[in-house]
Amino acid sequence: MSRRLRVDWPACRARGLCHELLPEVVDLDEWGYPIVTDAVPDALLADARAAVRACPRLALRIVD
Amino acid sequence: MTGSAASPVPIPVRVGVHPGPALLAGVADGPSLPAHRARYGDLPTPTLDELHRLVSAVGLRGRGGAAFPFATKLEAAARGRRPVVVVNLSEGEPASAKDSALALSAPHLVLDGAVATARALGAREVHLVLPGDRPMARLRMLAAVDERHDKVRLRTHTADPRFVAGQARAVVELMSGRTNLPVTAWAPEAVEGYRRRPTLLSNAETWAQVGRLVLAGEPAYRRLGTGAEPGTTLLTHSRHGADPEVREVPFGTSFGDVLPPLPAGAAVLVGGFHGAWTTWGLLAGTPVSVPGMAAAGLPLGAGIVHVPATAGCPLGFTSAVVDYLAGQSAGRCGPCVNGLPALADAVRAAWQGRDTAARVDELAGLLTRRGACAHPDGTVRMVRSLFTALPAEVAAHRDGACVATTRAGVAP
Repeated sequence: MSRRLRVDWPACRARGLCHELLPEVVDLDEWGYPIVTDAVPDALLADARAAVRACPRLALRIVD
Repeated sequence: MTGSAASPVPIPVRVGVHPGPALLAGVADGPSLPAHRARYGDLPTPTLDELHRLVSAVGLRGRGGAAFPFATKLEAAARGRRPVVVVNLSEGEPASAKDSALALSAPHLVLDGAVATARALGAREVHLVLPGDRPMARLRMLAAVDERHDKVRLRTHTADPRFVAGQARAVVELMSGRTNLPVTAWAPEAVEGYRRRPTLLSNAETWAQVGRLVLAGEPAYRRLGTGAEPGTTLLTHSRHGADPEVREVPFGTSFGDVLPPLPAGAAVLVGGFHGAWTTWGLLAGTPVSVPGMAAAGLPLGAGIVHVPATAGCPLGFTSAVVDYLAGQSAGRCGPCVNGLPALADAVRAAWQGRDTAARVDELAGLLTRRGACAHPDGTVRMVRSLFTALPAEVAAHRDGACVATTRAGVAP
């Protein structure tokens, strides 16, 4: 099952930690908001969970 | 800044309602409950299975714009505990008037559809979400509620006067006593909505179609439309400087047979502010049909056909629409808050003669599927359709050849 990161857009305030922790999957747009570029590969799942926990706005989830 | 730009199509004060073959057959009898019962008789009480068979047999789809199969929503709502039925009459789209037309002319058909479904589901409550900026429709619906004595409770709410207030999650927020704005949906409303209960939310026309089906039966419902798409749909014919007119049209009829003709090259906006531009020449031969229009690259959406001012310029009109839509953002999702004003700037610059096609494409990528609701997606779709459907119009602006003098075709 491929897992994806999903952003809770009303909660996100472009703090950018997700990009810092997971640059392979999260890019930032011209305003600093995350662009989720791809599904999360199994090898990066632990990093993705760390990004979800680190988000100061609790605006990130991993969904199947 | 685009903060509070007014809609270039005003919220209608008056609506022309043409008598129609099914939902609008009783227009001349007035909207009262006795007139409605005289036409249709008492409301039958189909079981959930019977109702499901009916809506599946005619392939009933939602009429709020997404054309989602109603049977699928009904199944999802039936699976959970204590489902809730919601009639969405908020009609936040200024160019739409069909739900108002139903509230004014056939409110009990709408209520019968919702009440019959609530009974079949064992739901105890039907919630009505009334428009905050269409007082006549709101009052007519409240009067209709007062006329009835159903076993289910009818509860009313009034939506904020805002374009995105009618979005499904925004409606659930309103019902829950929170701000009437979209939030992230982690599951469909029919699975988990109001108070985490299954919430069967559809717009007024969808419920009127359910009502008609339950009251008149499948054979009568099938007498109109096509074999693949039985029944009728409501169209709002919106024109610059005139009251909108609502017409009920059997599926499969071509637009040229229901709307007054225009020059072949005339620009027409189909599906409203989240819809798509086309020309009358293309639209006239296209059938009123969800798949038929999809084949022509057009959305039926909520059934809006808007004809801008003859002397106006579609690019300028689009610029005014995007200014308005940017101001209608809930202001919560970063890409929408930043991206819609940027898109408004790019479209205004195109109107002023600059080549901003690349910037529009770039913003389209940044706005699509990046919000709690589809407001940015719909705005992008409408803007891009201008560039594909009316390339000569865009080129004329780059060459300084547009002769229209004002943006929306109205005096400044």
